[in-house]
Amino acid sequence: MLLQQILNGLTAGSVYALVALGYTMIYGILGLINFAQGELYMAGAFAAVLLLSAYEVNFFLAFLFGMGVAALVGVTLERVAFRPLRGAHPLVPLISAIGASILMQSLALLLFGPTDRAFPVQFEFATVDVAGIPISTLQGAIFGSAVFFMTLLVLFVKYTRFGKAIMATAQDQDTARLMGINVDRMISLTFLIGSALSGAAGIMMAIYYNATYPRMGLLPGLKAFSAAILGGVGNIPGAIVGGLILGVAENLGAAYLSSGYKDAVAFAILIVVLLLRPRGLLGGRGH
Amino acid sequence: MLTLKSVHSYYGSLHVLKGVSLHVRQGEIVTLLGANGAGKTTTLKTISGLLRPRKGMIEFLGEDISRLGAEQIVQRGIAHVPEGRRVFSTLSVTANLELGAFARSDHKAVKKDLEDLQERFPILRERARQPAGTLSGGEQQVLAMARALMARPKLLLLDEPSMGLAPRLVKQVFEIIARLRETGATILLIEQNARVALKVADRGYVMETGSISLDGTAAELMDHNEVKRAYLGKGYQEVWE
Amino acid sequence: MTEYFLHLAIISSFYIILALSLNLIIGYCGQVSLGHAAFYGIGAYTSALITIHWGAPFLLGLVLAVLVAALFGLGLGIPTLRIRDDYLAIVTLGFGIIVDLVLLNLEVTGGPDGLTRIPPPDLFGLNFRFKGNYLTLVMFCVLAVLLLVYRLVHSRHGRALKAIRDHEVTARVMGINTAAYKIAIFTLSAGMAGLAGSLYAHYITFINPESFGLHTSILILTMVVLGGMGSILGSVVGAGILTILPEMLRRFADYQDLAYGGLLIAMLIWRPQGLLGVGKVSQKFILPKGKKGT
Ligand SMILES: Nc1ncnc2c1ncn2[C@@H]1O[C@H](COP(=O)(O)OP(=O)(O)O)[C@@H](O)[C@H]1O
Ligand SMILES: [Mg+2]
Repeated sequence: MLLQQILNGLTAGSVYALVALGYTMIYGILGLINFAQGELYMAGAFAAVLLLSAYEVNFFLAFLFGMGVAALVGVTLERVAFRPLRGAHPLVPLISAIGASILMQSLALLLFGPTDRAFPVQFEFATVDVAGIPISTLQGAIFGSAVFFMTLLVLFVKYTRFGKAIMATAQDQDTARLMGINVDRMISLTFLIGSALSGAAGIMMAIYYNATYPRMGLLPGLKAFSAAILGGVGNIPGAIVGGLILGVAENLGAAYLSSGYKDAVAFAILIVVLLLRPRGLLGGRGH
Repeated sequence: MLTLKSVHSYYGSLHVLKGVSLHVRQGEIVTLLGANGAGKTTTLKTISGLLRPRKGMIEFLGEDISRLGAEQIVQRGIAHVPEGRRVFSTLSVTANLELGAFARSDHKAVKKDLEDLQERFPILRERARQPAGTLSGGEQQVLAMARALMARPKLLLLDEPSMGLAPRLVKQVFEIIARLRETGATILLIEQNARVALKVADRGYVMETGSISLDGTAAELMDHNEVKRAYLGKGYQEVWE
Repeated sequence: MTEYFLHLAIISSFYIILALSLNLIIGYCGQVSLGHAAFYGIGAYTSALITIHWGAPFLLGLVLAVLVAALFGLGLGIPTLRIRDDYLAIVTLGFGIIVDLVLLNLEVTGGPDGLTRIPPPDLFGLNFRFKGNYLTLVMFCVLAVLLLVYRLVHSRHGRALKAIRDHEVTARVMGINTAAYKIAIFTLSAGMAGLAGSLYAHYITFINPESFGLHTSILILTMVVLGGMGSILGSVVGAGILTILPEMLRRFADYQDLAYGGLLIAMLIWRPQGLLGVGKVSQKFILPKGKKGT
């Protein structure tokens, strides 16, 4: 029972972590809390679901398509809603992000209606016994994919030219420019990656809960945001750790305290942690 | 090689450069002296494109670069070692060096340059995988200069390379500059430490509240009463000899 | 029709109080709160509960609403001493969400259905079901709050607050007790939001957690930023516009939120400092290219 809850938590947590990575990368480079991150998650899910319902395409192709659409929306969002506001008071782009979030949610509502959509492809998932604990292969697949994407990101940031350029830009834009790095392009690239990851997370959850709807990104978005902060915002390993802890904690909280307060657990933990460690668990930056 | 003609720069509405004119010839080391807040750093930022001049012209190798962005100017062959070193502290020493060559596409040659620099400055190899932020101030300065050299610049802009360094390290940094000079490098150098700077430079300019008040060869400036009084005065700690 | 305008004026007034109170935190303290609606809700529920269950007079409900909300503000003010910037934003956001969930889950607050049959105010024998009277009462409160904020901002304390906002370390060096000021502002601001909550509860006569969630916190924040952070008149105008704008957009029915989101972004791009913001150029604006510019 306890282990089962932990596994459930790790599944949800790995998805939070994926979205949190987007938050943390965007925060790292722009100092901006992208409140519309949850809507990118929703956009990815809708894109994949719609494609799969309309055409007989391969699931993995639809998955990539969903990530691509989320990435495109994210890059556009940065161009339209954030770039013109660079240099303004930090609360201004925050409100702009909120505006974008409202806009995208209502657009999705208009286009797709309020009802949940089932995921068009049904998978055969089994339950396997691992050391006496029943594990659903669906959970395993979600956790595995999330870990796969996180690994990819970490490798990208650490070992590629553009990954290092993104880190450099996040640290010191002026000096990055002196290296010949085009800062605007790095910001776009960051949005592209962060949004694609959120899109992937959205698709995974659309499969997990078998529901895709306009407001689906709201709570996961807020929790991922908490996860990013919990780990120390701007800190990539921090986002991963934060996401996992949050996922596990809220599942335990729901199981052993009260399911009504499930969503409160995440935030309560966050507040307590920040009181003890004002810059998050692994230490993030401030602006 | 580089010519500035009455350049004006602003921070927001603050008028900082008020018609700066200077030039640097191929193979020269030119130093820019002046009190704190005179606008020396701002001059370098304007040349390297971090700041866009509102008026005036900046010509580099026959091209007007005053409208180009910093990332384009590096590609033209100007590398700027900023004040305070500004290494990317969480990235490894090697990553810092690699980023210095970000604008280059001749990857094989980049690799070779990296090895050459590691040869010349062993510390860069010893600490290759360490985060740059863990280096000492002097080591960071070496890294910042090596990082700029990774761009194979035609012109090197150095902003107070000795700032905050112990005398022994100041000496080391200036030895590097002297060595660069032997390889025919062209350098525009800002230095608080006027005596040291004039020793290594061919010519110099003195800046006062946003414009050039004096210029001449290093020897002329060294002898100039005004310079002596203001920048080579007593209480100054000799470290070069 | 006049009924409708009176209604809009009354609703705007609640938001004016809320925006002014949040502006104290943001514009004069340099702190951010994403959970301001929680204080509004705490005020509304406090006042409603004691008037319904104990038959307490309206005035007592109102006073207790202010006090209880202020007490929570005091509680939330303490973390602000240690936690700042975006970290604080998420703490206040979390606080708002937790309060919302508590209201939703407690028995005494009526869960998702909330509380009904909240008595209208019993003052001076006037009939406050008549909107004209209620507007008068609310306007009186708005004026009181405006006066308080104005006096505060233009006092010695106001200057201390500005110093904290602009440069906390310097303020501390100057001998300003920044901790005490921050907590005092959070407390005061929460109390004002509690006042708005009480006035709202006794006007609308039924309340549920929906009115006090994240959505409302964001709306109040938007009012402040749109009007101009640190501008008193800005908060008034921002609250007015954002109460009336959705009403005007209402005839676009389905497109209401779409237009709202779009207009919000457009207005910010057009005037990032807010409608009545002083246009004070921020530090970042002077240093457009580097976060760590010298
Ligand atoms: N980023 C900036 N924003 C606003 N003003 C600045 C900035 N950097 C420098 N200044 C001002 O410009 C003037 C020149 O500064 P600077 O070029 O750094 O002088 P120097 O390098 O000669 O000491 C100074 O008065 C300084 O206060
Ligand atoms: Mg300087």
